[in-house]
Amino acid sequence: MSFTRRAFVKTVGIGGASLLATRREAWAALFQAPGSARPPRPLLLHNNENPLGPGEAVLDSVRRALGQGGPAGRYPWEDVAQLHEAIAEKFGASPENVVSGCGSTQVLRVAVQTFTSPVKPLVAGQLTYEECAGYADLIGTPVRAIKLDRALKLDLDAMADAAKGAGVVFLNNPNNPTATLLSGDAVDAFIERVHSIAPDAMVLIDEAYHDYVTDPSHRTQAARAAKDPRVVVARTFSKAHGMAGMRVGYAIGHPETIKRLNWEGPNALNVAGIVAATASLKDQARLQRESARNTEARKFTIDWFSKAGFASTDSQTNFVFVDIKRPAKAFRDACREQGVLVARDFPPLEKSHVRVSIGTLEEMKRAAEVFGRVLGVKAAAA
Amino acid sequence: MPVSRRSFLGAISPGTAAHSPAFVAARGREAFTAAGVAAPRPRAAAAILLDSNENPLGPGATAMEALTRAFVDAGRYPTNARPSMGELREAIARRVSVKPENVSMGAGSWELLRIAVRLYTSSSRPLVTGAPTFEQPEKMAEQLGVGVRRVPVDKDGRLDLEAMAQAARWAGLVYLCNPNNPTSTVLPARAVADFVARVAQESPDTAILIDEAYHDYVTDPGYATAVPLALEHPNVFVTRTLSKAYGMAGMRVGYAVGQKHTMEGFNRWGITFNQNSLAVAAAIASLGDPAHIEAERARNTEARAFTTRFFKDLGYRVLDSQANFLFVETGRPAKEFKEACARRGILVGREFPPLHQTYARVSIGTIDEMQKAGVVIAEVLGGSRTAPAGAANDSRRPK
Repeated sequence: MSFTRRAFVKTVGIGGASLLATRREAWAALFQAPGSARPPRPLLLHNNENPLGPGEAVLDSVRRALGQGGPAGRYPWEDVAQLHEAIAEKFGASPENVVSGCGSTQVLRVAVQTFTSPVKPLVAGQLTYEECAGYADLIGTPVRAIKLDRALKLDLDAMADAAKGAGVVFLNNPNNPTATLLSGDAVDAFIERVHSIAPDAMVLIDEAYHDYVTDPSHRTQAARAAKDPRVVVARTFSKAHGMAGMRVGYAIGHPETIKRLNWEGPNALNVAGIVAATASLKDQARLQRESARNTEARKFTIDWFSKAGFASTDSQTNFVFVDIKRPAKAFRDACREQGVLVARDFPPLEKSHVRVSIGTLEEMKRAAEVFGRVLGVKAAAA
Repeated sequence: MPVSRRSFLGAISPGTAAHSPAFVAARGREAFTAAGVAAPRPRAAAAILLDSNENPLGPGATAMEALTRAFVDAGRYPTNARPSMGELREAIARRVSVKPENVSMGAGSWELLRIAVRLYTSSSRPLVTGAPTFEQPEKMAEQLGVGVRRVPVDKDGRLDLEAMAQAARWAGLVYLCNPNNPTSTVLPARAVADFVARVAQESPDTAILIDEAYHDYVTDPGYATAVPLALEHPNVFVTRTLSKAYGMAGMRVGYAVGQKHTMEGFNRWGITFNQNSLAVAAAIASLGDPAHIEAERARNTEARAFTTRFFKDLGYRVLDSQANFLFVETGRPAKEFKEACARRGILVGREFPPLHQTYARVSIGTIDEMQKAGVVIAEVLGGSRTAPAGAANDSRRPK
């Protein structure tokens, strides 16, 4: 699609009412298959992204906010305050309970920075989202890596036992890459136990995949975090909100905790991300549609693997963790050859399990054909 | 172009609107809240923003077109989006004539300044910085409990390289902001090269960070980038930002240039995915449009000359600006000046100790904005004043 400057001004600028129809057409064209010279890309099932992105309404709010471009040249610190108000409103909390960052990655790093030290270790699952442990290594904080249980869930008993003297206990719920969920009751009991064993330890709960959970036993710990100075909940706009490219995440916590987590200030947040996140928060219906869409495609994928003889964990996320009974690398390389990207190795299960993100249903059907060929599954079985 | 006070106020004053700075200043925050609007947002309500050294026009049409095209990939991580984070790094490398391995990306150069302090200072190896200069490195040092040696600028507002070289002995990191924010002055290429050579000899373990945020606004022919020095020395690196001439302060793109091994340290410490994919697309488009930056430099140079003349005509000393802001000897506390301007809808720079009792920083907006702001500033300053030492022989008088 050739997109002249003139068309751009009409599309993106503050055109008059007479331009509205043209503008709408040009706007819609932005979301059609890109007709650029670039080659078609593989199916991206390796980074747990929302294949639909934030949607036109959210992006339209960015377009309006940026206008002809002037606002993109301004530091967006005041817009951050608006985002925090919107987040606080969603949780019935106050802006003093909110800190945001360049993705939840920045928030998680600052939490490790703030609450651990060479003598206050990090406790985390042996197989969980790596951001915290990676950062702990960087700053010289020891990591107590706790094996998962047989169901590939975080082992809460073992983690609580390891919490004594720790700075941070990291709980990714649902857990990436195993896709498994801990019930609200289990997490409640765990927090109480950690508080009694290690009253100074911060329980850091990463709920990145919260909006994809369908298990009714799930509960967010956000409300507790707002009141409990030893619990903090991290969230991201990169998953169900579909904004991985826009880099916005946040944490909910007690005001004293939040003050300390504001170590780096709002400097890493960009205006487009802030505007989009604020708009996206106000559209709960879209999140529900996204969750329903994901649930359907997830069920298709789990069923497909199951019929082919490969068991998945009970996924409560937008990815599945499958026992393919062979090394992930060989599977991954073979899939890439056929135009499907799946996730990296996750030791210690890299010899048997692979993580596959959930795309659209149509994408998963195409991917299943490739998986079938790579795994030597007869079409009839699938 | 003369701007009558009446039409000017008509244009910029939101009148008695409850969100106007005048209303907030006059009646206080409580009255503001009582008026039933959200918390005050001074910048959103102000008419003219001359407080943050931003490009008033933003990134321009080419960049905005690319940004909008990137909407289709907003749901992808910046490594998967097209264009990708990696492509931006390559585009920067091409623009600066280095290899991609010589570039490290940051969410604004802010992030890279902080990483530099972490990497090169410690409780026994302090930070050496100017006074005044951009505060982010010393803020980070304070957060880490690292000592800071603040070296006052010279009488012309230039970083005092002689004193900084002496302070550099046994230091971890020297922060050299060139041109220097807030004093707006530039160091000649020769002086920077001599400084680097001297520190390399006298204190070889000391790193030197040369912050070239305002690089694209320099017009002084004696200036040159320190990128070649950074490629030559393992302990020297340059930071740049797209927040200034590139007009992308809201988009958060900065980068560092140095030897491969030096950049690997920055890469390790950077926030994972510190570039958003819309910014990546806009930045690549902008880097491919050097004529746009030329035009922005010319625009700024003209508005800067106009504003410099304006202050000089009023009898105030202005340091030799090589940036998109002026450092003006107003002879009164910056806070007082700033607040008086804010009450009239014009935001100017914050306090910069130790010169905060007598100097103010004023960013350069468009000529039109500078003309309008001039009316307010002249009123706040109470018209012309007896020419201070620096302007004693200046024959130009206020009109």
